[in-house]
Amino acid sequence: MKHVKSLSAFVLALAMILSLCTACGQQSDDDFRPRIHFCGSTSLAPVIASIGASFQEEYGTWNNVDSSFPDAAIDISVTSGGSGDGPSSVADGTADFGMLARDIKDGEKEALGEGYTAYLVAYDALTISVNRDNPIVDKLDQLSTDTIRKIFSGELAYWDELDDSLEHKEIVLVIRDLSGGAAEVFEKNIMQGTPISANAIQSPSMGALAAKIAENPYAIGYAGYGVYQMNKASLFAFPVNGAAPTEENIRNGSYTMQRPVQFVTNRSLTAAEQAFCDYIFSDAGRRIVRENGYLPAY
Amino acid sequence: MHQAKDHVCRLTVMLLTLLSVGLLLFLVGFMLRQSFPAIRAVGLYELLFGTEWRPVIYQDVPQYGLFYLVLSTLYVSALAVLFALVIGVGCALFLTCAVGHRLRALLVPCIDLLAGIPSVVYGFVGLYVVVRTMERLGRAAGESILAGSIVLSVMILPYMISSCLHTMVQLRLRFEKASAALGVSHWHMAAELILPASGKGILISTALAAGRAMGETMAVMMVMGNAVIRPTLLGKGETISALIALEMGTAEVGSLHFSALYAAGLLLLVLLLAIHLGFSLLRRRLNREGVL
Repeated sequence: MKHVKSLSAFVLALAMILSLCTACGQQSDDDFRPRIHFCGSTSLAPVIASIGASFQEEYGTWNNVDSSFPDAAIDISVTSGGSGDGPSSVADGTADFGMLARDIKDGEKEALGEGYTAYLVAYDALTISVNRDNPIVDKLDQLSTDTIRKIFSGELAYWDELDDSLEHKEIVLVIRDLSGGAAEVFEKNIMQGTPISANAIQSPSMGALAAKIAENPYAIGYAGYGVYQMNKASLFAFPVNGAAPTEENIRNGSYTMQRPVQFVTNRSLTAAEQAFCDYIFSDAGRRIVRENGYLPAY
Repeated sequence: MHQAKDHVCRLTVMLLTLLSVGLLLFLVGFMLRQSFPAIRAVGLYELLFGTEWRPVIYQDVPQYGLFYLVLSTLYVSALAVLFALVIGVGCALFLTCAVGHRLRALLVPCIDLLAGIPSVVYGFVGLYVVVRTMERLGRAAGESILAGSIVLSVMILPYMISSCLHTMVQLRLRFEKASAALGVSHWHMAAELILPASGKGILISTALAAGRAMGETMAVMMVMGNAVIRPTLLGKGETISALIALEMGTAEVGSLHFSALYAAGLLLLVLLLAIHLGFSLLRRRLNREGVL
C-alpha cells in the first residue's frame, strides 16, 4: 500500500513537471522580447544609441509602434567594444546585432552561418588631417599616396623634408591601434604592406586622435570623416591623389579611403527588430547618422 | 551547542578562503589555456624577447614580441615608484612630526581622496598639463615615459602615504615620551629614530605601490603615446595593460592575436607575482638579519 502511494505521488509529480515544461515551451513561442541588443564597433555604437533613444522617445512602448505588439517598454541597448566584438557576440548569442566599421572577414561570416545578413548604414572615410596652424596647409594643395606612405612609414620624418620653408621639426604621427577598422582602411589604401613607423602615437579613440592633431601643430593623422567634420575649425584635411574628402567624392567612390559602417545578424528578424531596422533606415535615422558625422548609405 | 556553532563558523570561513584561492587558480588556469595557442605557435622565447609587435596579418608576417612592452612597463612603474617614494616618505614624515593632531585630521582625508579620483581623470589632467608642458618645452610630442611616470606617481602617492603614515604615527607614539625625557630634539627624533625604524613599513608600501603602478591602464595609455619601441626617458612607450586595453576590442576572437594578448596578460600577472614574492623574501631576510 505504501509503495502504491509513493508511486502515485511520483507519477503525479512527473506529470506536473511535464505540464510545466510544455507551458514554458508554449510561452517561448509567442514570447515577445522588448529588448534589442547591439554590440561591436565604437564608431557605430553612438549612432545606434542615439537612434535608439530617439525611437524610444517617439514611441515609448512597443504597442505604440504596432498595435499587435504588447504594452512593453522599448529597450534598445548598445555595447561598444570594437569591430571584432560585433560578429563574435552575435555568433555566441550575447547580442542580436553585431556592429562593424569595416568589411566582414571570411572567418567571421562563416561563424555566423546560413542566416548571415548585413545592413549597410553609412560610409566612414578617413581624412589625412593636420593642424590648421601648420604652414604646410598653404604650401601643398594635395598629397599623393606615395607621399603619405613615406610620411607614415617614417621615411620623411621632419616637416622641412616636405617643403624647405617649413621648420625642422619632427612630424608627429597619430594613428589608431593596428588591429582596428580604421587602421585596416589605411593599410589597404595607403601603406600596402609598408610598416607604419613604430614611433607613431596610438590613440585609444578617434576623438582622442582628432584632439591630438587639433592641439599639436606638428601632428598628422588619419582622422575619420566624422571627427573631421566636428573639428573643422582646427583641422585641415588634404585632398588625396587629387580627390578632396567631400561627400560627393566619398559617395561616388573617387575618394577611396573609406570603409562601410554596418551591422550584421545570423537569423531572420523578429517583428520588433524589423520595426526598429525600418526606423534606422527612415528619414529620422538618416538625420541622426548625418549628425554623428557619417555619410548615410541610403 | 557552542561547539557546533564554532564548527559551522570555521567551515564557512574556510569555504570562503578556499573560494578566493580557487578564484585565483581558476584565473591563472583560464589565462594559461587562452594563451596556450600563442605560446605554442610563436614560442615562449620569441614572445618574451621578440622586439616587434605587429599583430595583424596584412603586414607580411605577424610578429608577437613583448620585450619592449615589458621594458616599458617596468621602466614607467619603477620611475613612478621612485618619485612617489621620495615624495610619499617626506609627506608622511611631515604629517607625523610637523603638524598637529587637528591639521593632520584635516589633511589625511584629503590625501585619501586622491585615491578615489577615477584614472581617466588623471589621464585627462596628464594629457593637458604634463604632456602639454613638455610640448611647450620644445618636444614635438610630449607623450613619453616621463609623462607617464609623473602621472602614475601622483596616482600611487595616496597608497604610499597612508601606509607609511600608519607606521610612522605608531613609532612616534612609542618614541615621543622617551625622547622628550632624554632631551632629544623633535627633529632629531624624526630623522634618527622614526625614519630609520619605519623602513619595513616603507618597504611594504613600495611593494603595494609597485603592484598598482604596473596594473594601471587608462591614465598611462592616454599620456604615453603607445608606441612599441625601446623605451627611453623622453621617448614614447606602451605598457602591457595599455596593449591589452587598446587591442582586445578589435582582435578577432580565437585568433592568434587574441591569444597573444592573453599571453601578455599572463606575463603581467607573473611579473606582479614575482615582484610581490621578491618583496616578501626581502622583508623576511631583513627581518632575520634584524635590519628592520
